Amino acid sequence: MKHRHRIKEVGFWALFFLVFGLIPVFAKSEYHLVLANHILIWGMFAMAFNMLFGVTGMLSFGQALYYGLGAYWVGLMVKTFGEAWFLPAIGFGVLSAVLLSMLIGLLVIRVSGVYFTVLTLAFGQLAWQITFKWYHFTGGDDGIQGIMAPGILGNHIVYYCFTLLLVAVSIWILRRLVNSPLGLTLRCIRQNPDRVRFLGRRVRRNQLRIYVISSSFAALAGGLMSGVNNSIHPDMFYWTTSGEVILMGVIGGIGQFFGPFIGAAVIIIIQDVVGARTEYWSLIIGLVMMTMVLLLPRGLVGEIQAFMARFKSGAGNRG
Amino acid sequence: MLKRKYFLWFIPALVLCLVLPFSASGQEKVIKIGGLYPMTGRAGLYGLDSVDAAEMAIEEINGKGGVNGYKLEFTNTDSKAKPDYSVMVAKRYVTQDKVHFLFGVVSSAVGLAVTEVSKQNKKIFIGTDHASTQLTTDKLQPYYFRVSNNTFQSMAAGALYLKELQKTKPWKTIAYIGPDYAYGHDQWDELKFNLTRFGVEFKAVGEYWPKLFAPDYTAFITSIINDKPDILVAGFWGGDTVAFIKQAQPYDLFKKILYFHPDAGGNYELMAAMGTDLPEGLVLSARHHNNWPETELNRDYVNKFFKRTGRYPTYAAEGAYAGIYAIAEAVNKVGNPDDTDALLKAFEGMKIKLPEDPDDFTSYIDPKSHQIVQVQAIGVTERNDKFPPAKLMLGQWKVYKAEDLLPPPDYIEQLKKK
Repeated sequence: MKHRHRIKEVGFWALFFLVFGLIPVFAKSEYHLVLANHILIWGMFAMAFNMLFGVTGMLSFGQALYYGLGAYWVGLMVKTFGEAWFLPAIGFGVLSAVLLSMLIGLLVIRVSGVYFTVLTLAFGQLAWQITFKWYHFTGGDDGIQGIMAPGILGNHIVYYCFTLLLVAVSIWILRRLVNSPLGLTLRCIRQNPDRVRFLGRRVRRNQLRIYVISSSFAALAGGLMSGVNNSIHPDMFYWTTSGEVILMGVIGGIGQFFGPFIGAAVIIIIQDVVGARTEYWSLIIGLVMMTMVLLLPRGLVGEIQAFMARFKSGAGNRG
Repeated sequence: MLKRKYFLWFIPALVLCLVLPFSASGQEKVIKIGGLYPMTGRAGLYGLDSVDAAEMAIEEINGKGGVNGYKLEFTNTDSKAKPDYSVMVAKRYVTQDKVHFLFGVVSSAVGLAVTEVSKQNKKIFIGTDHASTQLTTDKLQPYYFRVSNNTFQSMAAGALYLKELQKTKPWKTIAYIGPDYAYGHDQWDELKFNLTRFGVEFKAVGEYWPKLFAPDYTAFITSIINDKPDILVAGFWGGDTVAFIKQAQPYDLFKKILYFHPDAGGNYELMAAMGTDLPEGLVLSARHHNNWPETELNRDYVNKFFKRTGRYPTYAAEGAYAGIYAIAEAVNKVGNPDDTDALLKAFEGMKIKLPEDPDDFTSYIDPKSHQIVQVQAIGVTERNDKFPPAKLMLGQWKVYKAEDLLPPPDYIEQLKKK
């Protein structure tokens, strides 16, 4: 069983590096790298969000706060001190997300269910309002433009490889986390927090841990995205950004570790392909969502796994 | 189970039906223009009008044989008015679709994000609707040109109107209401700067900052009435103007205070939405008017647009129409759409006769700021049912010389320091 699990793991990473590693070789234009960068960064953001929702059962509607925070650290530092501060700013963004999420986390984890969701939404919207209104510092609705990565990172292929490396490391960390005792505790918290308490584990402390971890990866995603788009905007803090990662999770499958990553890829590709041809892109997204919720409630990855399991058991019975 | 199976096939079939008709066909010698107008949401009408006007201009030009053997080809992708998505689309246009020109944009925030893509890829971006002064001052880059007035020009015209008004109807106090974001704040700063520049004595007695798309203005309306300014300057756009005027009417605000809205207030959208409910005597302006100037070119443009779409155009449409003609003019001068350096020179200083030009003036692009220089007309609402469903249009025009409306060098320096 362990052996099979290991083969699966190696298979995933081989496929991941094969697909994303070959993109710079086969990309017909810079745009394909931009698209792949978006899939990688949104995929990581969605997977980090899923650590809260899918694994621990905490539906946060405010993860855009940390995504925007990471992006604005980079934008403001590059604008104020120059390109050389691009990389340190990504680190500062992650660090400040850790500190802020610890503070906010102490407040929001005191409630659960819909109250937790609404409270996270409130903090996210507060951050958006501040960014939107503090025109002289944040650029307000105009955002910040001209955010360039320094030196060799300014080359779009090098920046893509840099993103690929950081996203791969992040996914590997998140994967290790899910398979660790902490991951097991988090899954137990989702299913029955009272029982976890009876077993002597601290529910809130573990919830806070995963809230901080998830938020720090969201900030990393924001920081990386500022280098892809070269501009940032208060919408990065807006609730619709949080909503998008939820959508990605639902489409890919919140019960699956890699589900949100696949969901991110599907949403981005639909937006790109359909958006380029018709303004009815939102109708297509709506139809896809309707299909997923009504017919494929386990998400794409979940349904594929269920199909494979059925296929194997069918083959086993015949054998 | 059977139903589920059919439903699963139905969805992709529907998706294909929606997508396939939009597959573009290729042409050999084409000038590719990549539009980034929003087609949904609050700015959707501006995008819709702009796309219709751009396509109308292209049909006119292609109908006459194109430009130097080239046909114009226009593609629009719904920008959703989102800067991050627009950046992605702009990068697709430039690196994959190989467009010759980036085009459009309603929101200034999207404009600022797209101008960065234009700068990095050395691809010419023709701005047609967004009004932020920054794009042609402190954030100007060599590959950007704008073919509609910016907020500074509107506010300079507004300040000149108020200066003249002081002679006939002495006023002292002024107040401002506008959406609480950059566009709203810029207008107020620019109006105050211009009033001071033109030596107008005034006292600001109030500033009110409702949220963009705010549904309820009651608290602001009562505050304005209490502060009793002689002039209320408004900086709204779109549905916000309609909502504010509708809500202020029961308070008789427009009988007590002169309502003055020089940037986007005179948009036809307001007249069409309010019909007879629009009060008379409001002083408004916009970047294009359907009933001014009364030239052959403007009448022809407005009538053609109406014939094509069944509605009269908002000002956004004329910006897009002007942008396509400016591209055709530049390519005609250079001979091809690929020589970017030569095209830049062709745009700089280009003179182009547009529907909003009176007979004695031709719009031109200022080579220094890449901003189109145009006259601005400010009017007063009065009965006129020639452009239904509007029952009132603007009249009693005051026209301001284009050269008086450009930002002076010290103002540009001030912006750069910010």
